[in-house]
Amino acid sequence: MRIFQGVDIVEISKFKKVFLNNDSFVSDIFSEKEREYCLSKKDPYIHFAGRFAAKEASLKALGTGMSGTGIDRMFKEIEIIPGASGKPVLSFSGWAKKISGKKGINQFTVSISHSENHAVATVILTGRDTV
Amino acid sequence: MSHNLITEEKVFQELKKAIVETLRADENSIRPGTSLINDIGAESLDFLDINYRLEQAFGIKMARHFVLEHIEEMFGEGAAIDENGLLTEKAIELLKIRFGDNMPDLKPGMDMDEVPALVTAQSIVQGVMDILDSLPEKCPACGNSAWKSDDGGKVKCGSCGENAVYTNGDDLIKEWLTKVQEEKNIF
Repeated sequence: MRIFQGVDIVEISKFKKVFLNNDSFVSDIFSEKEREYCLSKKDPYIHFAGRFAAKEASLKALGTGMSGTGIDRMFKEIEIIPGASGKPVLSFSGWAKKISGKKGINQFTVSISHSENHAVATVILTGRDTV
Repeated sequence: MSHNLITEEKVFQELKKAIVETLRADENSIRPGTSLINDIGAESLDFLDINYRLEQAFGIKMARHFVLEHIEEMFGEGAAIDENGLLTEKAIELLKIRFGDNMPDLKPGMDMDEVPALVTAQSIVQGVMDILDSLPEKCPACGNSAWKSDDGGKVKCGSCGENAVYTNGDDLIKEWLTKVQEEKNIF
């Protein structure tokens, strides 16, 4: 079994500034379900920032990094929504799903936490051995 | 086509401004060959902010999909990335054609996540210039050829006042891949 891990920390005040300065940020980065969930909370930015950290941690675990020269759509293709128990559940679509498939990844776990000004997330992916 | 309304120097200055505002970096430390990750410590949120600022400054739409994704979409599964997430020889050949001297450390078998560190100020400027060069000869709204830019940033039609509309970054990458494949038959 191969294990892929990623961790990321986001400064919430900085995240909020980027979020508010760019009109298409929220729809470019977050799925409709993520937007619905975060906007239902008293302080949506904490929850958006936590999800952003989880997306970045997923990119690190997948080993893709970001594209750099553009607005990376993979952020939106990595979705974190609450499961039945309320715990966040991670799923991939599009290019992110394709990369995880290439690496034989079949299990995903994510954990998100935050303090007043920081959100942190860890992602662990497990998959089959390759040659 | 190029109208020379916005110079490469203007794009570089705008990028420097975006980097300084986003990362509070020293303006004098930013050169064309500066790696945003290795030399300035940019993170993904910074990259997003910088790209959005460039979109706003020039009225353009940067690519939403990485060139590697377009390669696989157009030329098939495994064309760009192998089963271990490593870049194929053909993908490197294409990236070298696209980025040339701006990314001298590209090599087959490198990991996907090594690529972002190779992104320099110049490679971002090149991406913006490619989009700006897609400005059609005539204004689609009035048919006149009277583009102008008062501030060296946003372009509008001097005849009817419509804002310039450029080809978006993703469509340009696809056009470029089609052209390179026709010329070099890589896949």
